[in-house]
Amino acid sequence: MRVLFFAQLQDATGCAATELALPSLMNTEQLWKFLIEQFPALENYQKNVRLARNWEYANAETRFTDVDEVALIPPVSGG
Amino acid sequence: MEIEIQLTNEPIAEKISPPSNLGPVGAWLEFRGIVRDEENGQKVSALEYEAYPEMATREIRRLIETISTRHPCLAARVIHRLGVVPICEAVIYIGVAARHRAEAIALLGEFMDRLKQDVPIWKRRALPLAAAPRPVSFAPAKTTVQSLDEALAKIHSHCRPSPAIRAPLAEICGRVLRETVCAPEDLPANDRSTRDGYTILAEDTAESFQIIDTIHAADWKPRQLQHGEAVRVATGAALPCGGVRVLMQENVERSGDRIRIMKREDALNIRKRGEDVKAGSPLVKIGARLDAGKLALLAAAGCAQPLVSQRLRIAHFTTGDEIVSPDQTPKPGQIRDSNSILIRGLLQKFSCNLEQKHLPENFDAAWRQLDLNRMATADLVLVSGGASVGEKDFTRPLLERLGFEIIFSQLNIRPGRPLIFGVNGSHVAFGLPGNPLSHFACFHFAVALALTRLAGKAGTSFLRGRLATRLDDQPCPRETLWPARLEFSDSKIHLHPLAWASSGDVTCLSEANALVRVLANQGSINAGTEVDFLPTTDIMDT
Repeated sequence: MRVLFFAQLQDATGCAATELALPSLMNTEQLWKFLIEQFPALENYQKNVRLARNWEYANAETRFTDVDEVALIPPVSGG
Repeated sequence: MEIEIQLTNEPIAEKISPPSNLGPVGAWLEFRGIVRDEENGQKVSALEYEAYPEMATREIRRLIETISTRHPCLAARVIHRLGVVPICEAVIYIGVAARHRAEAIALLGEFMDRLKQDVPIWKRRALPLAAAPRPVSFAPAKTTVQSLDEALAKIHSHCRPSPAIRAPLAEICGRVLRETVCAPEDLPANDRSTRDGYTILAEDTAESFQIIDTIHAADWKPRQLQHGEAVRVATGAALPCGGVRVLMQENVERSGDRIRIMKREDALNIRKRGEDVKAGSPLVKIGARLDAGKLALLAAAGCAQPLVSQRLRIAHFTTGDEIVSPDQTPKPGQIRDSNSILIRGLLQKFSCNLEQKHLPENFDAAWRQLDLNRMATADLVLVSGGASVGEKDFTRPLLERLGFEIIFSQLNIRPGRPLIFGVNGSHVAFGLPGNPLSHFACFHFAVALALTRLAGKAGTSFLRGRLATRLDDQPCPRETLWPARLEFSDSKIHLHPLAWASSGDVTCLSEANALVRVLANQGSINAGTEVDFLPTTDIMDT
């Protein structure tokens, strides 16, 4: 799974993108748990960060597989 | 509804014409969002924007489509600028065409509200206005003399990778890749013929075959071959099915739509699916500097907008009233400026935007000539000359007034002893000693390291090579970076130390392509001794 970090999350994780091997199909809650295991610094951000799967915002029902592109979207500030 | 979306690193055009041929347009509404001169109560010179481009584009489109079901419009154009946007310049442009103004205004208002909630674009950082002028001291600064290794460690730790952006392949030659790109599919994507010839079942023992089809290089014609059947194939053509071999056309005799085998060979003449690269395996790794070959591989893999380091912005100032331009004849006491072109040339391979300017020797006059807002957007500031502690040397006070904290201002090395290194947040500055050889040495061990780090690479390091000729030197209490000529022969690197009399020696610059490290008090080094050196050009160009 390709995982992208933006804005302050790049500072928190020290990278802009990474490849993770997803052991199984996961829902949003499970994926968060998995990501925090890999990058403990993310725990402080979880409350304000949305997940996107293949360029669309995920919700509680979204299922993630190993071939997905996942992005962590902190509060946006464009325009 | 027609929707056009652009994310760009370039300034948004002053005039943008409305789309034509839309039919009954009664309103063309344009909006530009401008970068204010303050952010959270702080005066700023620019804001830096970052986006998740694939998703931002989709979200913008989705929002406009959703909102236009309630406020029907005919067309919309959205341009959002990324990267550093100076104050007073537009960061976003929106044009909306509608039958009547009310729909256009409603759509615009609602879209801007939603953009600020949902579209993955971020203000990455505010670039501060140059620090308020501080009192300037020209008194010799108290400074500790540092060794080369200490200086390199300080540069290494103070230069952090600049933000990464997605950019098209055509713009990023020479930049550093900031993600590992993996193969999205097998390369090649299917079994292909390596010969012009005829495909038959691999185990078919027939002597004569019926030609049932032809497959050219661009064709995709899957079919199961039967015993006694052959398909004409071109080199590079995708084979019709598995379990086949390709007979070279030289080895068969054709008559009409039949062939007969003249000579059997063992080779299958097939390039197997995934033979180059298997899907999911890394193609180009994070930290690679993108040259033509790597760009071609990314293109072949469909990675059209990889994540790369930003083009670094560099401001270079020359100082000194004794400097005249190369096309002038120097009066007694004057010299021609060779440092401007030296720095421009040395920066060539680093993919950066360079602005150069000459400053007068008078501090206040020089200060007045600086465009402080532009200065504040420079990732790296270089000042040539004025780096020692002479009465008129003002690099240190200038950098301090610009808000830089001086990390070191004297090194225990030659040439390049009065090198200054300053840090201001994520921005760094060097004051380079005025003479060209010092420039050359300081650029290669210090500035190049900073640029490499800012671009997101690990750093540079000395290589090992052998001296081909003796290096003659008196023991010197300072470490020396000795200009040398690197040559290849007998598959080995040979280093020839060059003659140089003082750090002002400009003639040896045209020969030098390496710097040999001579330790403090080491003195002469015999031919054949292994030494540390830094190459100063790409080794293959030597």
